[in-house]
Amino acid sequence: MSERIVITGAGIVSAIGNNKRQCLENLRNGFSGIGEVRYLPTVHHEFPVGEVKLSNAQILDLLGIDHNQVYSRTTLMGIMAVKEALAQAGIDNNHNHMTLISGTTVGGMDVSEQLFSQGMSQEDCTNCIATHTCGASTCAIANHFGGIFNSTITPSTACSSALNAIMLGSDLIKAGMSQMVVAGGSECLTLFHLNGFKSLMILDTQRCKPFDEHRQGLNLGEGAAFVVLESEEHAMNRKAHIIAHIAGYGNACDAFHQTASSPDGEGAFLAMSKALNEAHMKPQDIEYINAHGTGTPNNDLSESAAIRRLFDNNVPPVSSTKSFTGHTTSASGSIETVISLLALQEQFLPINLGWSTPIQDGGIIPVTEPRKASLNNVMCNSFGFGGNDSSLILSKHTK
Amino acid sequence: MDNLQDILKQQIIDALNLEEIETADIDNDAPLFGEGLGLDSIDALELIVLLERNYGIKIKDPAVGKEIFKSVNVLADYVSKNRTK
Amino acid sequence: MNWVRIRKDSIVVNGDVLSTENTGQAMLKEVYKKHIGGYPKFFKMDALCKLGLIASELLLQLESPRVTDTEQRAVILFNRASSLSDDRNYQATIQDAGNFFPSPAVFVYTLPNIVTGEISIRNKYYGETLFVVLDHFNAQEMFNVVREAFLDPMTSDVITGWVDCENKDDFEACMFLASAVDQDFTPEFINEIYNK
Repeated sequence: MSERIVITGAGIVSAIGNNKRQCLENLRNGFSGIGEVRYLPTVHHEFPVGEVKLSNAQILDLLGIDHNQVYSRTTLMGIMAVKEALAQAGIDNNHNHMTLISGTTVGGMDVSEQLFSQGMSQEDCTNCIATHTCGASTCAIANHFGGIFNSTITPSTACSSALNAIMLGSDLIKAGMSQMVVAGGSECLTLFHLNGFKSLMILDTQRCKPFDEHRQGLNLGEGAAFVVLESEEHAMNRKAHIIAHIAGYGNACDAFHQTASSPDGEGAFLAMSKALNEAHMKPQDIEYINAHGTGTPNNDLSESAAIRRLFDNNVPPVSSTKSFTGHTTSASGSIETVISLLALQEQFLPINLGWSTPIQDGGIIPVTEPRKASLNNVMCNSFGFGGNDSSLILSKHTK
Repeated sequence: MDNLQDILKQQIIDALNLEEIETADIDNDAPLFGEGLGLDSIDALELIVLLERNYGIKIKDPAVGKEIFKSVNVLADYVSKNRTK
Repeated sequence: MNWVRIRKDSIVVNGDVLSTENTGQAMLKEVYKKHIGGYPKFFKMDALCKLGLIASELLLQLESPRVTDTEQRAVILFNRASSLSDDRNYQATIQDAGNFFPSPAVFVYTLPNIVTGEISIRNKYYGETLFVVLDHFNAQEMFNVVREAFLDPMTSDVITGWVDCENKDDFEACMFLASAVDQDFTPEFINEIYNK
């Protein structure tokens, strides 16, 4: 049997808090972070969003970075989350040869947009874009931490990017190509994708209602989350505290449409099935599913169908925490992994806000009342445009 | 001079990159979606943008789109009644 | 192992030059019409997806029988420019406040991994799909990611390679169909084909 991959640190920044403690508190209290847009300079105030409640200047101050340096918001939020994860894992500047994997699709586009609107020449704009790519945002996060990261990878698979980053990080360790990986994702709001999602007519003008019959669409959010991954042996050798282990994961292609999910949720079904197989688990071993649950008519119906296919009449408690954070697109997979980790650690079920009426024809009935639960294994789903569907199983650590 | 049906057909072909289809290939009464032209949900959204850009018609609910894209004749009728430019 | 190398003015398939009269987008369209056809969705794709689709079609036409409807084939692609070519087109639809009509059909292609989805949709591949953006062409890095993909016993082969599209007429691709047991799929081989 191949070596177990464990998580020894986690960090999160989202609309419901700038760290794990704040996020946990708001999750438990049912306080959503979705509200009227405040930091993104858009005219579209009709669409509520899940913004991180800090301006870029405030984040620079928090991190002690000189205001004259140009950092994208994706990078800044990423640094905050990586910093929290490293601190928990007890990693200081004496470590090196670590790999940073950050899933993002927006990258530094917020900076490009600001410069665009300042009327730069076409040539200047092109040069500017070149320095603000997705990969550049990951390098900028890594560089903030001095020499501890000797390589970076930036998977870009739309909304499943961050979960794929965690899976890729686990693979790197299993393949013996890296001993320690910090994996997750970061994504800030931009005019570019707010208007894009608007053009797809999948944004709700109210707070989203995942898995509700009357759901009207999603709310975009932003944030970052990262986990520190290493082999169990490596963690024990350095006497690190193990938070949980990664029991299994799977990625599959829905092969249906560029953006829409198939009616029977084929890709989601295959991804969850692969994760169970790899974990040597049966469906009944899963005690909570943190669903992708965007709140769009298409996703929630398709994901419900996939979950019903796999779990039949024994669907475990399910919730979509996008009702708290908004859909943080490429960061959602890691943000929801950290939320699942908090659920596992604190032994509670995060609720699904905004739900009141079941979807006709076999929709999922999500958890709406906060409650304690005895959790050993939790599943986290993350699906992206391109039919890129992923599912991860986290387990409580046992020796 | 072209009638509204023909103008719409050409605009649909251009907007949706229906490279191998000509206006004569589209029957005025045939459904635009489903079999026929092989259009999908993104095409429907693109047609909604077309109506706003070319005719000043704003459609907020994609379900309304479904109704008016039943055929070129239905669409032309809707456009002539609701256009603001 | 089969491979395809596309530059903006030339196409080589397994060492044989595919003769074309045009360059850039016109060349891709010419190849579609002459050698592929019957998939009108091609015309709706952005330049990156057109490039990826043409490369994968030329590659898969060498396969006999052609494999479809499988969970065992992964699609793992790499590039440098991400979806920049289509990003520019989409930005053009929201650049001017007086002519502000964000295009959904353009927006859906502003993600580099849509090309892995398009290839999977065309061939009904339900296996792993992954798109990785790199600083520059890096055969070792690409090989490493593919090797990790083969850790999944479900994955028996992979369509992989470099599909980069800076502008609609400025692109290159280098694509392989490698199986888990191919001993000749190495960083050296990837480099050799890329430099051909």
